Amino acid sequence: MPSLAIEPWGNYSLGLAASVECLGVTPWSLTSVTPEILRLGAEASPEFSCLSFKASTGYFIKAAMEGVEYGVMVNSRGTCRLRYYRMLQEKLLKERGFNLFMFGLGFDGFKPPIIRYFDPSIISFIRSGSRARLKILTIDVLEREAWARRAIELNPGDTTRAMDKSLLDLDHSRTLPEIRAFRRSIKERFQNIPINPHCTPLRVGLIGEATVLRDRCLNQNLEESLGNLGVDVRNFFLMGEELRNIFNLSFGSENSRAALRKLAKPYLGTPVGGHAMDSVAHAIRCAREGYDGVIHVAPVGCMPEVSIRPILRRVSQDYKIPIYECSFDEHTSHVGMVTRLEAFVDVLNERKRKQ
Amino acid sequence: MERVAHSIGIPRALGHYLYPKLWETFFSALGLAVVLSPPTSRRIIEQAGLISEAEHCLPFKLFDAHVAELVGKVDMIFVPRILSMRKNHLSCPKLSVLPDNTRAQYGEEVRVLSIDIDVRKTPLAESMAQLGRLLSFDKSVVQSASVRALEVVKREADKIISLNEKAPLRFLVVSHPYNLYDPYLSDMILNTLAAQGVGVETLSFDRQDIEPKPLVWDMCSVMYEGLRHLDPKTCAGVVEISSFNCGCDSIAGYLFRELLNEKMIPCMTLVLDEHAGQAGIETRLEAFVDSIKEQRDAITRH
Repeated sequence: MPSLAIEPWGNYSLGLAASVECLGVTPWSLTSVTPEILRLGAEASPEFSCLSFKASTGYFIKAAMEGVEYGVMVNSRGTCRLRYYRMLQEKLLKERGFNLFMFGLGFDGFKPPIIRYFDPSIISFIRSGSRARLKILTIDVLEREAWARRAIELNPGDTTRAMDKSLLDLDHSRTLPEIRAFRRSIKERFQNIPINPHCTPLRVGLIGEATVLRDRCLNQNLEESLGNLGVDVRNFFLMGEELRNIFNLSFGSENSRAALRKLAKPYLGTPVGGHAMDSVAHAIRCAREGYDGVIHVAPVGCMPEVSIRPILRRVSQDYKIPIYECSFDEHTSHVGMVTRLEAFVDVLNERKRKQ
Repeated sequence: MERVAHSIGIPRALGHYLYPKLWETFFSALGLAVVLSPPTSRRIIEQAGLISEAEHCLPFKLFDAHVAELVGKVDMIFVPRILSMRKNHLSCPKLSVLPDNTRAQYGEEVRVLSIDIDVRKTPLAESMAQLGRLLSFDKSVVQSASVRALEVVKREADKIISLNEKAPLRFLVVSHPYNLYDPYLSDMILNTLAAQGVGVETLSFDRQDIEPKPLVWDMCSVMYEGLRHLDPKTCAGVVEISSFNCGCDSIAGYLFRELLNEKMIPCMTLVLDEHAGQAGIETRLEAFVDSIKEQRDAITRH
């Protein structure tokens, strides 16, 4: 059976892997990139391309080295560099003599080219599509549980262990009833973790560029580092919500594009590109919902995210909410990151005490 | 400098170079006092490094510094929101945030006047008519002002820089208009090349009929189109001026080099930032020109 490398999307790779079952291929996916992948990507990519590009280029090179025949990469129609990722990656792979055929995930006529190529039966397509959807929505629930629990756990590491075990179990759940049963068991899985009942954790929102928000290798394990410092994080990129947005199903919800645009309107008159408008809107929402702070995450030189930073600073002043901006590239060190997070959390704690 | 009544400030950066002389002609014709920020200088570049977001590209940083020069001296500052400048194309996403950014930073001190420029939806003349309405000018006055301004910009955009016209060895310098036409950034590079006795040329940006392939960013697409029609017999080499952290150039630069490699035209990229030293750039340009001269001599000797 040929294998297909799926663009890395953090834990959501599990859901995406389920979606290609119907194509008669073995999915090749990882729940995070690795330092080796980053090194391969950084070597191959143009110097000033962003970390997300370097990571996914390295990922496909690694896949090709392992003998994977096909790859699938999202097709963007936006203003940011994502639009050119696939074209450039095809060239870079060819230059290095790798033979990996890349599909673009987007509509080309009535059917996406990848569907036309493998031509799955309509029943198996719907079946694996609904499995993938359910897995992605289940991961949304898992993530939320883990954020809340990690901030108040008594023994550091318990939540992470429970999370890893759960992800493994979810990966082994194949059928829809199995996934549903797993979903019902989530509460119980996390309830057994001993907690500190007197602790009132800080609440911090994570906003910014999606791939860096999602991939724990790219963001130096930001969610876990903050959780260990006693912070209840809310990562504003959840793929379940994002997919609803893409297919316009979140009509009227507070996460719909229209709602976000309205929220960001006083500060930003244009969607810019990428998730820049979402970042501004979520920063305002965090302030209104009484979060203690916000962390803005972006790859170094990210075109949309970096260009809205002066606006985030204005939001921070107007709403009196601390916003910490951090950029990541292939040289970012984990220790340096943790030290800076500790300093930020200290400031937030002090601020909360004074109030 | 005293504050001038009914004055409008135009930062000498980004949009000013993308539409050369358009805005000052238009506003002067409307009877407003136009104040341009002073030309880029060492002081302004240093200021840019201090006050602007660290990860912006150099032209964006310079824009912030030029706006800072105008604040307090004018009634309002004109910052267009550039979304698209050519049919079926998009502009760099950073250009679309400029008015919001300026308001976020200086909104309390000065009025920021803005207009959307999106030629996919509205022709430039129509956008200028909207701008006139925004300033509550009479329709006919605005009409004649925009006709005059568009004539000027047509003339200006067609201009190219050409030095040492008779020299047999000719080099092409490509870059975004805001790097190329800012004398502080490009003069030293153009003059260093010219001092070596080689011809120096730039591309014309007055192209409207281009296809958004492979690049959809308008200025990059214009440059790509220019490079595509380059003849290896008449062009000895290409010098690309880019700026540190320029997102467009990180992708476009790769495609430019690929195209030039196919045509066997030597190419070098100079990356500018607010710390760029003159000596380093001169040495690299001299080495580039020398190696090409040497290669040509070797071919004629054989």
